[in-house]
Amino acid sequence: MTGRRLHPFTLLAIAGALPALAWILPAPSGGTVTAAIGLTLAASRGLRRGLWPAVLTAAPFWVFLRLLHDVPTTIAIGLRITTMVASFVWLAATLAPDRLVEATVARGWSVTAAYLFAATITAVPTLRGRARRIVEAQRCRGLSPRGSLGNRLRALRALALPLVLSALHDVDERALALETRGMVSGARRTPLAPPADSAVERAARWALLAACVAALIWRLK
Amino acid sequence: MSIRLLALIPVAAAISLALSAAVDAVALPLFLDTTGTILATALAGPGVGIATGVVTSAVNTLRNPTFWPFVVVQIIVALYAWAAARAGLFRSFRTAVPAGLGLGVIASVTSTPISYLVFGCTTTGGIALTTALGKALGLSPLGACFFGSFVSDFGDKAVTFALVTSVLHALPRRTAARFPWALRAIGAA
Repeated sequence: MTGRRLHPFTLLAIAGALPALAWILPAPSGGTVTAAIGLTLAASRGLRRGLWPAVLTAAPFWVFLRLLHDVPTTIAIGLRITTMVASFVWLAATLAPDRLVEATVARGWSVTAAYLFAATITAVPTLRGRARRIVEAQRCRGLSPRGSLGNRLRALRALALPLVLSALHDVDERALALETRGMVSGARRTPLAPPADSAVERAARWALLAACVAALIWRLK
Repeated sequence: MSIRLLALIPVAAAISLALSAAVDAVALPLFLDTTGTILATALAGPGVGIATGVVTSAVNTLRNPTFWPFVVVQIIVALYAWAAARAGLFRSFRTAVPAGLGLGVIASVTSTPISYLVFGCTTTGGIALTTALGKALGLSPLGACFFGSFVSDFGDKAVTFALVTSVLHALPRRTAARFPWALRAIGAA
């Protein structure tokens, strides 16, 4: 099971519940179970998209934890961080932003939050590409990003300023596009392809929430 | 919230996440990951700034999950930037850089307990190494953690405030006037 067919809210519930349980349940047994589940989920998205990114992101934490703490503390915190990393890598590889928007629209929630999330995800690669082009263009004009601290800070200003100003000029264009699509607060929208949300999935989400609450009460006793 | 301010939030959040390309080019130990939050607050007030900070953390979490617990820091940065904008501290580098240094102290005080309790002070390689240096200097675990956060945040927030000041002053007056707080932040209204 890769999770692609699951409802976006179910994906979010799993990715939220696993790290919560990793922190609530006693270490190291609780963290071992949740990290194993998280890594299995990440592996289900393939080696390149799932398991490797999770392992490579989590590995430095283990090194630095060992540098700063004793072995039991390293294992306890390391397993929790591994759970968090693996479940979010799986979520990022599985959750399609457009399906999340459709799911929130279908539920009748404000589309604003989903828009902000999806618009940022799509804007980041665009701005990163623009930033790289600005770096290349400024280098062609003779900008030297090395040398003294003052020199580097001046170079940073010359690189960052055009990027930020050009991004701010995009705001009007985006506002116009939103207005023409009827993006006003309080307006109900019709979902075109709402993701299927079965009774089993809804029950599973409540079960995950109940498990987290029960584990917390058990630990606080 | 007006459509323009709604459109500003994802753009400002994306600015925070895209500036790493410029930072990489100059090889400085900076994050600049609160630039969008501070800029959005200086342009449009605390609501837009907080929303930008939360969205920045949420999207950054998909890249590196350790960012999510630090969403609290983004909110505090937005509130601090709002106070700075109200006081017109973005009017020049002379006022903005000390304000940024103040934010560096507040941000490190806020992020230290999160970093210590959740991650054992290992959020990034640089912070972990400076924390190890703090331990080697004889500081307590929490003190070493604060030392690591302080070293990384202090300069970063000053540079971020200076950068936002540059942006606000470089904006054409007509463009700046479209955002409710921009002129007040630079002391022009």
